[in-house]
Amino acid sequence: MTDLKVKEIARLAYARPAIKRGYANQTLYVNLSDSKISIKPVSEKMKETFVGGKGFDLWLLWNAVNKDTKWNSPENALCIACGPLGGTTIYPGSGKSIVTSISPTTGSVMDSNVGGFFGPYLKFSGFDAFEVQGKTGAPTVIFIDGINQQVQILEVTGLPQGAHEVTEVLTNHFGQGKPRNISVVSTGPGAKHSLIGLLNFSWYDPKRSRPRLKQAGRGGLGTVFADKGLKAIVARWESVTLALNDPADEEALKKVAKLHSQEILEQDPKQNQMSMVGTAHLVTIMNDYDLLPTHNFRYGQHPQAPEVGMEVYRPLFDKGFDGCWMGCSLACSHGVKDFAPTTGPHAGRKVFVDGPEYETIAGCGSNHGIFDPLHIIEMNFYCDNYGVDSISVGTSIAFAMECFEMGLINKTHTGGMDLSFGNKASALEILHQMARGEGFGKVVGQGVRKMKEIFSKEYGADRAVMEDIGMEAKGLEFSEYMPKESLAQQGGYGLALKGPQHDEAWLIFLDMVHNFLPTFEQKAEALHWFPLWRTWFGLCGLCKLPWNDVVPADNKQTKEPAKVIQHVDWYTQYFNAVTGKSLTPVDLIFMSEKVYNFQRLLCLKLGFGRREHDAIPYRAMGPVTVEEYESRADRYDKQLKEVHAVDIGGMGTAEKVKTLRKLREQKYEQLKDAVYERRGWSKDGIPTLDTVRRLGIDLPEVLDVLKAHGVA
Amino acid sequence: MVLVEGREFCWREGLTVADLLEELGDPYPYAVVRINDTVISGPDFATAAVPRGSEVFLIPLIAGG
Repeated sequence: MTDLKVKEIARLAYARPAIKRGYANQTLYVNLSDSKISIKPVSEKMKETFVGGKGFDLWLLWNAVNKDTKWNSPENALCIACGPLGGTTIYPGSGKSIVTSISPTTGSVMDSNVGGFFGPYLKFSGFDAFEVQGKTGAPTVIFIDGINQQVQILEVTGLPQGAHEVTEVLTNHFGQGKPRNISVVSTGPGAKHSLIGLLNFSWYDPKRSRPRLKQAGRGGLGTVFADKGLKAIVARWESVTLALNDPADEEALKKVAKLHSQEILEQDPKQNQMSMVGTAHLVTIMNDYDLLPTHNFRYGQHPQAPEVGMEVYRPLFDKGFDGCWMGCSLACSHGVKDFAPTTGPHAGRKVFVDGPEYETIAGCGSNHGIFDPLHIIEMNFYCDNYGVDSISVGTSIAFAMECFEMGLINKTHTGGMDLSFGNKASALEILHQMARGEGFGKVVGQGVRKMKEIFSKEYGADRAVMEDIGMEAKGLEFSEYMPKESLAQQGGYGLALKGPQHDEAWLIFLDMVHNFLPTFEQKAEALHWFPLWRTWFGLCGLCKLPWNDVVPADNKQTKEPAKVIQHVDWYTQYFNAVTGKSLTPVDLIFMSEKVYNFQRLLCLKLGFGRREHDAIPYRAMGPVTVEEYESRADRYDKQLKEVHAVDIGGMGTAEKVKTLRKLREQKYEQLKDAVYERRGWSKDGIPTLDTVRRLGIDLPEVLDVLKAHGVA
Repeated sequence: MVLVEGREFCWREGLTVADLLEELGDPYPYAVVRINDTVISGPDFATAAVPRGSEVFLIPLIAGG
């Protein structure tokens, strides 16, 4: 039993407003430096321009920071918001939160979306968004109690270290016998000692009588959280009903929600079986198409991949409802019960592991040359428990392993560890060291960009080679899809605002497998529409999975199946039914375009967001080494001859590598030009004055930033 | 017989996924099918056998994570 000591530092009592058409119409502000708690109004203009969710986060963040603000500056804000549709109990995937802040790894704007009960509970407690600035030296918990209508800053001692234990203790402490009323945001010890910390958001699983965890993983948001002195943010709310969100047309909402839910129940078992295996179904498919990263993205395929595929994980997942928000019929948050880790502080104890999902399987498995499903589950558990992002952990360890195999670093640097690909014990030991802030694990926890600097400056490693093989862009580690053979996906990664995460555009199948985007203009159009459409989910508090991971039976007969237009229409009806507006699908894209461009301008304000920041490493574009080229020589030779009309007769492999590289790098630059033009940006990747005026985001502070960067 | 999207299809010895798709006459460029609980991707369509009595699902879209 944990003996907690709780001391109140500050308290704000408030009168909870009724939700109106999906909005609480106010946001919550906490400053940890001076223990200030206050409430800010949400204006009609704010809703019109920024919609909600990520849009609100970005507006709050813009106003919190200046051009010199760093991730660990006191004024850096961590913002969490739901959205006007968030908290709806009958429409699948309607419980997402979006977190934004300045990232420790990129120095620029980061956003990460996550399931769990927190976002809806925050809104029903009376706040569309939560913003925290400042820092404290005391272990601090912020308690948002929507039932008793008060917010407290609490100094809490006696809390355990790991995220699972912190969540359980605080759920019991604040739940007062009703644990389902609680959602906890927390991190773990790894967040404090690395730059790739994540945030765990809880949802209570009544069948298993335990809080479960979902992760806002990308870009070190947990590190910002820990640096501020936060141990947790807790939201408390009671029963949730459809009427609570005050939809304008409840009958229309019920009608469209039923259509989408029913379709998922009918089609998911016939399609990807997300409700049974989650995203694990992707492993063997990616492998079959040479898209599963192995050995630090050297290759996209490995004969052992089926050993960590869907058929292996299916029987390991605990049966039961796995929806991270109430009423979701997709319910894809699967987990493994009674798992006994073999190493670390939980060795030999039985734990529940939330996951693994595809990204963790690829990141902490195949990309390390490891094909052991139980090892991946253990990595998954400790990443969550320590509060570090399994994607960044995966890609960072993969980079270190390749550097070790290339002789760029050696056992002198790794503390005696053999970091060869496939070494499971070393991968786990790095993770444990990362959490303790010790040894080589602490170095790996700085992420790929910082490792390149440390390896070259302190260990004398060849910087140019590491720039080629270090899979980061903008400072963020790549997520786990091999983009080498898809120029559109290279853009999907490189031109994503926050860095190479696939949540803006996942175009590999459209581009590489189906060849539906043969021209630059088609690629640019896809890199316009898909990021804007996917952005919309983050504005509203929604999950994107119900949009295109299950599709209507007749979707293939539509003109552009990848857009799943039937679902776009349903989402439009959903938005209108809640807010009372009469918008079209085109209007939804316009809503996103405003926020998308505003985020690019916030990057610019912070000294980023230009063409140079959209660069990607060559490993993401093509074969870096002779060995890589020769492993797929037929493919590359054919391209050189047939696509580029290069006479390769008499050329050695090294010369072919160089020639192909020049051509592919040129294509990526041409793609940038085409995408910038489609997005209404300058050749330098900055939204033009015409664009910001057309979008209605020509606010005085925006125009000042543009002027400061030579756009007037 | 095999069951394809809920409809009966005449099975024969040596039937592959590629044969099945061709004989169905469905022009959609499927990248993945599932036979019972086993996923088969495009590169293996020509060699993957469809077992007698199996249930085949034509996966309409692979959408990523």
